[in-house]
Amino acid sequence: MKLRKLAHASLLPSIALGLFVVVTPSPAQQSAGSAPVGNAERGKQLFSDTYNCYACHGFDAQTGERRLVPMKYPLEGFITFVQNSPLPNMPAMPDASAQTLADIWAYLNTIPVDAPALNDLPLLRDVLARRNQASGGK
Amino acid sequence: MGKRSDSDATPSVDRRRFLKGAAGGAAGAASVLVGNASDAQQAPPTARPAVARPTDADARKDFVPPEPRVGAAFIEHPGSDHMVDVLKALDFDYVAVNPGSAFEGIHESLINHGGNRKPEILTVLHEEAGAAIAHSYAKAAGKPMMTLMHGTVGLLHASMGLFHAWCDRVPVFAVVGQPRNPTSVINRPHSAQDMGSIVRDFMKMDDEPTRLDVFAGIAMRAYTIGRTPPMGPTLLVVDSELQEAAIPNGMSLPIPKVILPAVPQGETGAVREAAKWLASAERPLIRPGKLGRTPAGWDLLLELAELLQSPVDVGTYGSWQDFPSWHALYGSGGADYKPDVILGLELNDMVPSVRQTHATGGKTISICAEYLSQGHNIHDYGSYTDVDLAIAADAEATLPSLIEEIRRQSPRDAARARTARRTQVAAAHKAVHEREIDDARYGWNASPISVPRMITELGRQIQNDDWAIVSGHQFTGQWQRRLLNHDKHYRYNGDSGGFGIGYDTPASVGGALAHKAHGRLSIGIVGDGDFNFVGAGALWTAAHHKIPLLLIIHNNRAYHAEVMLVQRTAARRGRGNDKVDIGNVIREPAPDYAKIAQGYGVYAEGPISDPNALAPALERALARVRAGEPALLDVVSQPR
Repeated sequence: MKLRKLAHASLLPSIALGLFVVVTPSPAQQSAGSAPVGNAERGKQLFSDTYNCYACHGFDAQTGERRLVPMKYPLEGFITFVQNSPLPNMPAMPDASAQTLADIWAYLNTIPVDAPALNDLPLLRDVLARRNQASGGK
Repeated sequence: MGKRSDSDATPSVDRRRFLKGAAGGAAGAASVLVGNASDAQQAPPTARPAVARPTDADARKDFVPPEPRVGAAFIEHPGSDHMVDVLKALDFDYVAVNPGSAFEGIHESLINHGGNRKPEILTVLHEEAGAAIAHSYAKAAGKPMMTLMHGTVGLLHASMGLFHAWCDRVPVFAVVGQPRNPTSVINRPHSAQDMGSIVRDFMKMDDEPTRLDVFAGIAMRAYTIGRTPPMGPTLLVVDSELQEAAIPNGMSLPIPKVILPAVPQGETGAVREAAKWLASAERPLIRPGKLGRTPAGWDLLLELAELLQSPVDVGTYGSWQDFPSWHALYGSGGADYKPDVILGLELNDMVPSVRQTHATGGKTISICAEYLSQGHNIHDYGSYTDVDLAIAADAEATLPSLIEEIRRQSPRDAARARTARRTQVAAAHKAVHEREIDDARYGWNASPISVPRMITELGRQIQNDDWAIVSGHQFTGQWQRRLLNHDKHYRYNGDSGGFGIGYDTPASVGGALAHKAHGRLSIGIVGDGDFNFVGAGALWTAAHHKIPLLLIIHNNRAYHAEVMLVQRTAARRGRGNDKVDIGNVIREPAPDYAKIAQGYGVYAEGPISDPNALAPALERALARVRAGEPALLDVVSQPR
């Protein structure tokens, strides 16, 4: 299990007007260290079976809306967002405990990113080239 | 098929005897075949044959095999022959048929009098499939198709398909048989006092000709009303006895010409005003709805957009042919583009546009045939909103005068400002395109297969074909438009209009039928949920009639949108999310769609979960389709 707990500690997302707003946490907040430690194995079961997150985010959490892999948000921001989501297509889950969400967050951080570079995907590169060509015409 | 048997032979003989008498005598003929000029639209009460009320013994007879109708009178010129002559005058190529005794007269005449040509019978295994095929065919072919149904039961089965055609503003020429004076237990429920009322809430008109001499006029009326914007399905109820009525030798029933009315254009003053606003707009935005009634609509929208150098926002559920999806102006102009004039073209919901412009002091214009629509029961016409200029007219018919007027009123230096606008908009759209392609990389090697991977693999293999997507794109998001170049008006045939499940698969067959005449390669990408309605039977129709079509099942084994909806409700009520898959997933067992298709005689492969197996499977299936047959690929896919 590879945890990247607080790996993005320089950014702490909070929610305002339905959008993630990036603010810089105070040194006290950074050192609070109160977030629970997640269990990725349990998180997988929570993601796939208990909370059915895959239905919108994809089985590997990177094909749906929104993409959760690679995980961009630190644990605290993730917990706050899921418990209080103001987005119409993302249900707020106030009953999901911090521990539960820490488990899911831990699992999401174990999923390898499956996004080859565009240079390694000739099919997609070709689509982009043809699309740019089509858009460039009058 | 018990429901379709009229086992009561004796009363039929009586009816025929009556009709023979009617045909033999001038008075009788006058009651069934022709009326006086003064009552041309009314059925004389005496036109109905008197039939004895059935007894219990009669009812019991219904459950034994019917006697051959050896005693039935020979009718050389039945009324249904005339009906088929009228259908030929309406230039139908196909009629979708699931057989029923209420129209056995027309059925026989289509085959033996009409030679099963124009219209040719397309055998369908469910009337809903027949209506969806006719709906989609009309969009792809630019002309209506006919669907023929049994009384009540057939019409009820078809009602869902007809509802979609209504919501999509597409003409479908629907004909339902009416077993007049039924005496059998079986056929009584197939007759109705007011057959049209079953679907009247979503038909532009319905009528029941009561005499043969008015049949042609009413049929022409249904046809032309259906094709006049706002278009929609129409229903003709056809009396079974009228189908059997004998036309005396030498009697000629006239068939009028089909005259399609010129469609309404916008009032001149209003068009001038709209042109003035658009010509001087700094940030115009065009929002088309169901605009492309004909290929000319596509060309005109392109001309207008390039004249103004305005972005064209087709929205999430843009229907029919709309705008080239890889064009520099395709999009909303970017996040910073705040339109000062929004032009809605056949967009029946202007609320978001009005909200957007009112916030910035801009203006909205709506040119829409919906303003000419009569009130109806279905709430598919959007909310009333105070647009700044509303023009009740067909948008496609109005565009030539609007374009001409914009040219006339454009300031001399307009070209320079518009060129700059195009540069800005194109740059914003290019950034969006690049983000979309970047997004498509994620889950590239995932199993189940990602939707972008599926569509990209498909696009690669059809890029040298003249292809058409004949399903909607409701369940593949915007990936089709992002990854496939919709550069012709026929590349995309649109969603159902009514957002009901079960349209896409039979609609794919209908669209493919229309494209077959042009040698185009048709592809449908349909959800597994959609396929499970009437899709499998529609595949048989494609196999039986040799309709080339590649059907890709986007098989995510669930109704995933509904998972999220129940999840949202459960979360709001604080009841947890661990049970939200109940009623929403299609697993345990997971249906094997390839086997189902193979059972209907269709080449099929699947389930395909390995993304690297997709390209070779596509190649094999497309080879079959290019050779003229349908094929199916069951692609196990990501939910989104």
